This record gives sequence, structure tokens and C-alpha cells, in this order.
Amino acid sequence: MRRQKKPCPITEAGIRYVDYKDDRLLARFITDYGKILPSRLSGVDARHQRQLSKAVKKARFLALLPYVKGQTG
Amino acid sequence: MAKLKIRRNPTRRYEAVYIIDSAIEDAAILEKLDKLQSLLNLATPAEIEHWGRRQLAYKIGRHETGYYAIARFETTTAVLPEFERALKLDEGIIRYLISLAEHELGAPKLSDEELASRRRAGDDDDDDED
Repeated sequence: MRRQKKPCPITEAGIRYVDYKDDRLLARFITDYGKILPSRLSGVDARHQRQLSKAVKKARFLALLPYVKGQTG
Repeated sequence: MAKLKIRRNPTRRYEAVYIIDSAIEDAAILEKLDKLQSLLNLATPAEIEHWGRRQLAYKIGRHETGYYAIARFETTTAVLPEFERALKLDEGIIRYLISLAEHELGAPKLSDEELASRRRAGDDDDDDED
């Protein structure tokens, strides 16, 4: 039995191209430690997952997202 | 967004994010941004979005907060190396990122009606709970 495919949350939000400056959106797709959530857990489609991965990395550089969450400094 | 034209000296659309030392006064920050844009010799002035002071996700050197400003502009590729050099030398700029703005980012703004219908749908991927 195959599990039903989850709808892609980014497509559903009507997003064409993931914005690296939208830290609130990106924060939904990182783990508690700040790692990028695998698409098999989030249901993000491949195209958006590629964009997401780039966007998270840019956002980290700009200190919008932490590289590692849950540590100080 | 303007369509890319193929020309001998092509211009491209860029988006630059600057993180400026938050200890600098607002007037001085505005002046600094003006000065930066003037280095680019833009045909049309850059569109600047101010986020203002913001907590950094991690410390950068001694800085815990930064003033975020985003500039969108169209320029030739040739002026960028010199521009980046100026950015690097500027002590007041904690960090910057210049990237190509070839895609319309994010989603078109939702109307209230659309938002409501989305809420009614009640999908289980909604991570917005606090």
C-alpha cells in the first residue's frame, strides 16, 4: 500500500520562487537544530526543495537563520 | 520585472542586502546607502527597502543586531567588482550579499478571501502554531 503523497506546502502557498529573505517561511523547513528538513518529511516538491536549500543557505549567511540552533553566540 | 535584453553590454537585475552596524545613526545610514548607490552609476535609482534594526540569528564579531537594507537595481556586470571592494572596505557594513534578481520571489499577496478559504481547508502541514 502506498501512502498518499503530501501536497507541497510551498506550492500550496502560491510561491513561485522561494524568497531567501522570508525567514518566517524558511523557519518552517528547518529542524530544531537548524538543519534543512528533508522533503520526504515536509512534502516539498523537488523544484521547491532545491530553491529552499539555496534560500536557507543565503538566509544563514545573512544571519536571518542560525547555522546551528540552540546554542548561544 | 523588466525582461532581460540581449545587448553587447548587458545589464542585469540585482538585489543587494546590506547589514549595517546598528550603532550608526539613521541619518548616517541613509547617507551611506546613498553614497553606495552613487558608486553604481545607475540609470534609474535603486529601489531601497528598509527593514531597520534586527536581531542577528548569531553574533557576527561583536555585533548582535544589524540594520538591514535591501536595494534592487539594474546595472552592468562590469561595475560590480569595484562596488564589492568598496563594500568590503566599509567598516560600517557588517555583511552584504549581492544576488541576481531574475525571479519574482515569494508569492503574490493573498486577498483576505483567499486567506480565509485556506484557513477553512485546515491542512495538517500548518506549522504556524506557537
